[in-house]
Amino acid sequence: MNAPLPKRIWLWFTKTRVGRSIFRVGLPESNLERSQAMVSSFLLHVQPAKVNRHALRASYSLGLGLISLYLFFILIGTGVLLMFYYVPSTAQAYDVMKDLQFVVSAGMVVRNMHRWAAHLMVLFVMLHMCRVFYTGAYKAPREFNWVLGVGLFLLTLGLSFTGYLLPWDQLAFWAITVGTNIAGYAPFVGPKLKFLLLGGNIVGQDALTRFYALHVIVLPMIAGLMVSIHLWRVRKDGGLSRPDEQLGDEIATIPLNQLPTNKSYGLMELARGTTPQVGHNPEDEVFSWPHLIFREILLFLLVTAVVLFLAVFWNAPLEEFANPIHPPNPAKAPWYFLGLQELVSYSAFWGGVVVPGLLVTVLVMLPYIDRNRVGVGRWFARERVVANTIFSVCVVVAIVLTIIGTSFRGPNWGWVEPWQNPPTITEGH
Amino acid sequence: MNHSHLDHDAVSRRGFFQLTLGWLAGAFAAAATGAAGVRFLVPNVLFEPGQRFKAGKPDDYPDGSITFLEDERVFLVRHGNTFRCLSSVCTHLGCTVNRTSNGYHCPCHGSVFNNQGNVVSGPAPRALNWFMVTLSKDNRLLVDKGQDVSEEKYLVI
Repeated sequence: MNAPLPKRIWLWFTKTRVGRSIFRVGLPESNLERSQAMVSSFLLHVQPAKVNRHALRASYSLGLGLISLYLFFILIGTGVLLMFYYVPSTAQAYDVMKDLQFVVSAGMVVRNMHRWAAHLMVLFVMLHMCRVFYTGAYKAPREFNWVLGVGLFLLTLGLSFTGYLLPWDQLAFWAITVGTNIAGYAPFVGPKLKFLLLGGNIVGQDALTRFYALHVIVLPMIAGLMVSIHLWRVRKDGGLSRPDEQLGDEIATIPLNQLPTNKSYGLMELARGTTPQVGHNPEDEVFSWPHLIFREILLFLLVTAVVLFLAVFWNAPLEEFANPIHPPNPAKAPWYFLGLQELVSYSAFWGGVVVPGLLVTVLVMLPYIDRNRVGVGRWFARERVVANTIFSVCVVVAIVLTIIGTSFRGPNWGWVEPWQNPPTITEGH
Repeated sequence: MNHSHLDHDAVSRRGFFQLTLGWLAGAFAAAATGAAGVRFLVPNVLFEPGQRFKAGKPDDYPDGSITFLEDERVFLVRHGNTFRCLSSVCTHLGCTVNRTSNGYHCPCHGSVFNNQGNVVSGPAPRALNWFMVTLSKDNRLLVDKGQDVSEEKYLVI
């Protein structure tokens, strides 16, 4: 046998009594075993045994959802590690950041990975939403999965925002002060919501405790659950959207009590709606093992490598210890909120409450507003030119506002051009 | 099959009461749990700095001075024998404003206030707050940040 040693060990192990009790199917050699391997493994059975060729085309999905998922995994892993040192106390939190940098072995790399994976996750969730929009993938029968996706997008922002306070430096303190004050502008419930979020009137110990609880358990649990439902529904809704798929939600809608009674039924005949196999042409299907699994593992390694690369070469920022008296000038929110902050600099109510509120509402209702059922499964379908144009305009406006907030706003939120030296401001009390 | 739709649609008196009471009890239990949960999260005691503080003797502040008290985030304004106290918390998003030659300026989003604390420009929705200043029995200035007053209210000594 010419197989490399690890493979030979693996083959031997999976044939032993213990190995078989764990893995059931060894390294699959035939198509039957490939299917069995997928179905009999807890981690693999989440995915179908066979998958449509179209779903594997990287040029279609760009792997954006998977990348977001992998970043979430990295965040859980590094986040749990950070919890072994972090203390949610205004007196100690900042010192822990310093310890991570100077005392803990690989502490800075872990913190950096957490930071960059968080930024990347926000970015890739946004990109994933754009992909789903431009390919019309939110249309029936996938409407509700889009809604879940919008929820996951908001959770991602919430996770990022709550995590932002934890280092208890100037950046953290003022970003949260500004952010929670924006929440205070919400009609009717605003001030109460702000009080509840902070556990008081000021950003202090109670706020830190609450943000910590939200960041390490409440929001991750909800996000984890929703990610699971999101992925489960991808399968239940017939896999990734494709151009040639049959729209299956017209199937099996005969009320139960009107079915002929001179016949016995299997469960699959009674279950309503699209089964995962509806519209699947056997010729278009390939075995998930190895075609899907191989790609997934490769992508996971790639994502981890990129995050590790960023973490090794670029440190997560840490400013001075939080000082309620001196806001940094200018005080800036994280980059993904800078478009919002730019709007808020015109009007806190319109920019901070009305515009984002309207945006989220429209996003949630989108698949129920846009009932045009053509142009699914293709990028920039001609039939969807109006929807795509509206969406693109929103995206471009958001990007422009974010760039202005990030690069063109200097001291006193005044206009600066990034290629010029910022003007010096004399401050006097 | 013999479909007896009529029997399914009709609700007996007992069934009606059972259904109503059941749903009411369920709704009540859910509402009570929710209310208690929210109430639990609203703190009853705040371990925050007090709203009232002593700002020292009146003579600590020279005539015509505007003094920034860092720890309390207020400006103490003396004019002749009158004393006033202005909040330095921007009414826009809670940053601390800075004193300029002819008013106040917020570094976060660029709101500008005049000497009276009124908005000159920028996104701030309303003027800076003026706080009640009184004199304590031991002749110290006593500021109550929980009590807003109009800009025309002075402590005269």
